[in-house]
Amino acid sequence: MGYVAVTAGEEIIERAEDLFEKQRTSGEDEDIGIDQLDSQLGRVIGQAMSEAGLYAPRLAALAVKQAQGDTVEAAFLLRAYRSTLERFDDPVTADPGEMITTRRVSPAFKDVPGDQLLGPTKDYTQRLLDFDLLSGDPDDPTADWDPDDAGEPERLTNVMDLLRAENLVPDPDPPTDDDPTDTTRESVTHPPDRDAVLQELARGETGAVTALGYSALRGYGQVHPTLAEVRVGDLPVRITHPYTDEPATVCHATVTESEAVVPVFEKRDDPQFAFGYGLTFGRNERKAVGMTILDASIQLDGSDEPAEDAEFVLDTIDGMESFGFIEHLKLPHYVTFQSILDRIRAIRERNGLSSGGRVARAERDDVDSPREPPVAEVSDDD
Amino acid sequence: MESTQRTVMEALLVPSGMEDPTDRTDRFELIAAAGPAELADLANAVLETGPKLSIRQEPRPQLLLSQVREPVERRPFNLGEAVATPAEVTLDGARGFAMVPGKAERAALSGAIVDAAVAGDHPVADEATERLSAVGERDREQRRQEWARTRHTAVDFRTMEDQQ
Repeated sequence: MGYVAVTAGEEIIERAEDLFEKQRTSGEDEDIGIDQLDSQLGRVIGQAMSEAGLYAPRLAALAVKQAQGDTVEAAFLLRAYRSTLERFDDPVTADPGEMITTRRVSPAFKDVPGDQLLGPTKDYTQRLLDFDLLSGDPDDPTADWDPDDAGEPERLTNVMDLLRAENLVPDPDPPTDDDPTDTTRESVTHPPDRDAVLQELARGETGAVTALGYSALRGYGQVHPTLAEVRVGDLPVRITHPYTDEPATVCHATVTESEAVVPVFEKRDDPQFAFGYGLTFGRNERKAVGMTILDASIQLDGSDEPAEDAEFVLDTIDGMESFGFIEHLKLPHYVTFQSILDRIRAIRERNGLSSGGRVARAERDDVDSPREPPVAEVSDDD
Repeated sequence: MESTQRTVMEALLVPSGMEDPTDRTDRFELIAAAGPAELADLANAVLETGPKLSIRQEPRPQLLLSQVREPVERRPFNLGEAVATPAEVTLDGARGFAMVPGKAERAALSGAIVDAAVAGDHPVADEATERLSAVGERDREQRRQEWARTRHTAVDFRTMEDQQ
């Protein structure tokens, strides 16, 4: 991209920034606290962390506050902050089965081992505005609950393991401990490895992941999955302790997980399920399911449907990239536009249109030089 | 928490799921789970005795790679990163290391001081292990309560073929 520098009064730019900040502070309401944002707007905080690929609830709350609720802008702030930090070595790979589950439903199996656990959800209820919230009623609706002691959190059986036990999904290749691709340090090359696809989908922009996943369901693709399960819970983040060399938990990250099966009948004598997988930071079931559909679609390696084309999907789902490219159009393009204007004016002059009004058809036919076909102009920074 | 290097005897002494603050790895996890105020209280109590303290690693936020093995192909991939703040000190000759979630320089330094104090059998060590045990108990109780509430929403979906 070729940008041309422009100058403007730095003071004026600071004034505009001050005016932006004033929009947040000009009311008579109390300043909203980071802890309030973190505890009461957890979905927004989770979305910002998910799209940033960075788990840091308080910093995400700060970013959401600074961005005045714009989640992509908040994710941008988090990624910018992330770029200033060193990385601690020796990560310990987590198994999603270790998740401390707060919600698990299986649309595929009614009687799933470990039960259908609705957890905190507004699914299955009507979407009606709750006007009681206007009064800021702080009552705890679970205050009267007296649930039975269920002991320590259980490790729930993964539905995919049930299918594997019946040979309904292929056995995986032997586990590999190779370091997976890190798309934050290496550019994605095509065709990408699946670990790169999963990392990029996990930090994709929620709306884009949802929309592209939806496109496959609307007929622009072959994947219409059944969700084996959707799970929300807390997954340990561990390091290898530098003194003991033992795995040690630093924190638990709230994540949303989704698994899907897709029937495939290519092998008529041994039909099995293909699969898709989704996992992302925060409580974001819509995105996790969209990611699952895209993972399954990309494994088909097609090029006719957008959701099956890994290059198309990965080029369009990153919020920072789409945000940057779309929003950069607002920046000064004076030089490139002047060049376009010059060229159009020259063509008009050559065709006798420079005086403003259109020339008569007969007069135009007398022009010896052939007319150039219309050409779509492209800015040189695009 | 599983440990590959812990002896059978130690495993027998510590009931499953209970952290032992005298064990270095367990103590690391308890310090990471403690609040900044708890860590500051303990670190201040240690420092009031005038120990010789040197900071081996300044507390600065770092990134921890959150790597996950997806359950279908058993393939590891990078889910993302988490922010945590490590710190390392030497206290009267005993080393201490801590890492706390998020950007929390003071808590990380306090945690490293507490870790070193317990490792070096500092006079505050008993109080520290007691309070770290309480952190573990509190966290365990919170997990049990949350799990009980989750189980309270277990549902038995019934198909409705008979009613069609």
